[in-house]
Amino acid sequence: MRKGNGILMAKVEPGMEAMVDVYIFETTALLEQLDEILLRTEKANEFTEEDINEIFRIMHTVKGSSAMMGFENLQVLAHKGEDMFFIIRENPEKMTDVGFVYDLVFQMSDLFKAEIDMIQNDDNYEPTDFSDMLAKLEKGAKMLKGELDGIDIEEAAAAPEAEAQAAAPVAAAPDCTTVRVFFEDGCKMENIRAFMLINNVRESVDDVEIVSYVPDDIESNQDSANVIIDNGFLLSFRAPDPKAVFSAIENSLNVESYEVIDANARKEAEEAAAAAAAPAPAASAPAQQETVSAAEPAASTPAPAAPKPAEKPKNTEQKAPAAPSGGGKQSLISVNLQKLDQLHDIVGEIITTESMVISNPELEGLRLESFTKSARELRKLTADLQDTVMSIRMVPLTGPFQKMNRIVRDMKVKLNKDVELVIEGDTTEVDKSIVDNLNDPLMHLVRNCMDHGIEDNVEERIARGKPAKGTIKLSAMSSSGEVIITISDDGAGIDTDKVLAKAERSGLLMKPASEYTEREIQNMILLPGFSTNDVVTEYSGRGVGMDVVKSNLSKMGGSLTVESKKGEGTAFIIKIPLTLAIVDGMEIMVGDAEFTVPISVIKESFIVKREQILNDTKRGEMIMIRGVCYPMLRLNEKFGLYSEVNDIEDGIVLLIESENRGICLFADKLIGEQQVVVKPFPKYLSQYDIKGEGLSGCTIMGDGSISLIIDVNNLIGSH
Amino acid sequence: MDIKELFAKQEEMQRKTLNAKNEKESEITKVMTFYIGDQVYGIEIPSVIEIIGVPHITVVPGIPYYIKGIINVRSKVVPVIDMRSRFGKEEKEYTDRTNTIIIEEAGVSVGVIVDEVIGVIPVFQKNIANSPDRIGVNDNKFIKYLLEMPDGIKLVLDVAKLIYDGDIYLTDE
Repeated sequence: MRKGNGILMAKVEPGMEAMVDVYIFETTALLEQLDEILLRTEKANEFTEEDINEIFRIMHTVKGSSAMMGFENLQVLAHKGEDMFFIIRENPEKMTDVGFVYDLVFQMSDLFKAEIDMIQNDDNYEPTDFSDMLAKLEKGAKMLKGELDGIDIEEAAAAPEAEAQAAAPVAAAPDCTTVRVFFEDGCKMENIRAFMLINNVRESVDDVEIVSYVPDDIESNQDSANVIIDNGFLLSFRAPDPKAVFSAIENSLNVESYEVIDANARKEAEEAAAAAAAPAPAASAPAQQETVSAAEPAASTPAPAAPKPAEKPKNTEQKAPAAPSGGGKQSLISVNLQKLDQLHDIVGEIITTESMVISNPELEGLRLESFTKSARELRKLTADLQDTVMSIRMVPLTGPFQKMNRIVRDMKVKLNKDVELVIEGDTTEVDKSIVDNLNDPLMHLVRNCMDHGIEDNVEERIARGKPAKGTIKLSAMSSSGEVIITISDDGAGIDTDKVLAKAERSGLLMKPASEYTEREIQNMILLPGFSTNDVVTEYSGRGVGMDVVKSNLSKMGGSLTVESKKGEGTAFIIKIPLTLAIVDGMEIMVGDAEFTVPISVIKESFIVKREQILNDTKRGEMIMIRGVCYPMLRLNEKFGLYSEVNDIEDGIVLLIESENRGICLFADKLIGEQQVVVKPFPKYLSQYDIKGEGLSGCTIMGDGSISLIIDVNNLIGSH
Repeated sequence: MDIKELFAKQEEMQRKTLNAKNEKESEITKVMTFYIGDQVYGIEIPSVIEIIGVPHITVVPGIPYYIKGIINVRSKVVPVIDMRSRFGKEEKEYTDRTNTIIIEEAGVSVGVIVDEVIGVIPVFQKNIANSPDRIGVNDNKFIKYLLEMPDGIKLVLDVAKLIYDGDIYLTDE
């Protein structure tokens, strides 16, 4: 996120630099929320009033903040989107068969995301021209307008222009008080002062409800300052004690004078204001006005939405992260990830240092009762500290899971398959870095299920006794330090004959075809260069993908396996360690080098007799354990280290197993179990393939020496 | 006039004339010098983080022979390069005099093992020799410039090239 900002600054208005991150963060969150609402409503095939207002609010906020940051193209785009939902909001009851609205808004949201991505990452950011999309949106708005109101096109086009003014005016609600406020001459930035005034009123008076204000675009439109200078600032509110509000206004900064006006006078003022603010046909405003205000008087209050007790609590909760200025106290703060990483590193160092102190060789043989007691206490506390720091970095999988909804939706339309996505256990929490890297693998797998898994023909499904509608299930659960994510479909399953034939053609077979087990064949689809799909579609079949998914996952220390039953469906199972940074390891010595083997892969350790060793034809050693034959890997030979322990009976053998493959490692001796903080190899060494040698990183031991961490998957793979 | 002011003024004037006259003699940078074999090499001080002895080196497989492994410098894992073997000289056993110079360039730290650190010398423009064309290319790509000092010629190393190796792109992790 911080990558290009140094250079980006120049493009943002001076004084706004610090806001860019916040803007990107907020807008991204809003757009995700928008997607979520759209998906939900599309599924339910119903727009509730609440949804429409919510979307309208999102558009409005995006518009306002884009304008504030000076991203004009985004502002205009959001404005058009807002227009469209303005029309929908007017006539929610007629909002039934408008699938094109979804497509339009989804397209718009994609453009937004792409643009934000560019702002974030592109050092030479140039605003994109959205005129195509704008035209589409305008056309959409016209269609809506035409359908709903029967108003002809010219008029409809003009209507959105008037919207800003029309939305604001107050309903003829009798219990509503309106004041006209004038600010001191030359106090500057009247629009901001007005905004502050509103906040001030909200803060200082209980139970006040700001119904609306004119001009309503004080947050986003600099020109509104001039309107305020000319016509004053109109504020309508509902309060049990209007006097309190008046005194709040009096006490606000730079307020020159204010007057309470009645409904008629107000209307006049409004029209004047509307005329002054925009050259839009003011005549259409009053007509609009009535409908709007009657339908949704309160909702026309622009974001941040006033905390209104009548609003459903669920709704406010959703809003909380997006509208921090909305008043209510927040129990969430956003923290720079770098700082968290730093904290995390320091905790790692503390744990290392702690064991340096507690198991200091100078203490050996001493009777230190109270020291031992305090040391135990300290260890408990540092363990707590470590857990807490870990939990800070833990985020639920909801984000990447919800994104799949969108992919299923898009593909459903394109592939013409009726599929439902079922999500389970999306509240499972994993390390932030994992969540960030999970999007691509998940997307690939879901696409694979959509494209290859679910049958092309509904008849085929029905013939097998399955429901016509396909199901893709995305589930997550955590078990013993691992999170297990399953992506499964109830489709055709993997055709092992086809896979085998294809593998043979591609020359991927290592042994006679008849010797492969079903499971092995199924997992062949994860091999590089494999694709059963003969036709390359937009989504899959290019032969890249599954192996990329696999390597992406193994970068995170995770694994991918396939389980499939022909005719019943396929399941991809991802297993990822909950955290990457701290590993329970077994320390072993080879020569004078120390290695760490993750405990999770060690099945057993034992001393072998010479007779147990089998020699294969290539001078390789093997050992038979409970009827299974495992290859033996001498670590000193593997890593080119000098060791005095060469007799297999003198050292120790560790049986390790990962991804259903096992291997025996021969080391000099075991030192013991220890929690270690994983450090990556220095950057300078990243040009060499140390990973390929079977080492995933290193760790600093209590005595300051460095231990290398064995990467079991690569070690087995390279053997 | 105050005597102090007078002194200050005089000093100032002296400095000015000196500067004008010896533009070529102003100090550009400082260089840390060390032996690799019989030859004196140097590294510009801004690149030097610290000098230590030769700590325990952890051997890492899969890297070139001249990178001896990784060391722990105050909880930071740093790779070490043996300069003798980097420059194709015969390797020598490390002694008490052998030093590891920790250098850093663009956030990447590397330790270089040299025979013996000599000291720090100031560098003036006049000391920088007109380099032959061969400096900075091929075998001499690690050499930034030559220094002609009264006690002999010193080769100043180009730390950036040493770390980035001239042709290897480091990914930004």
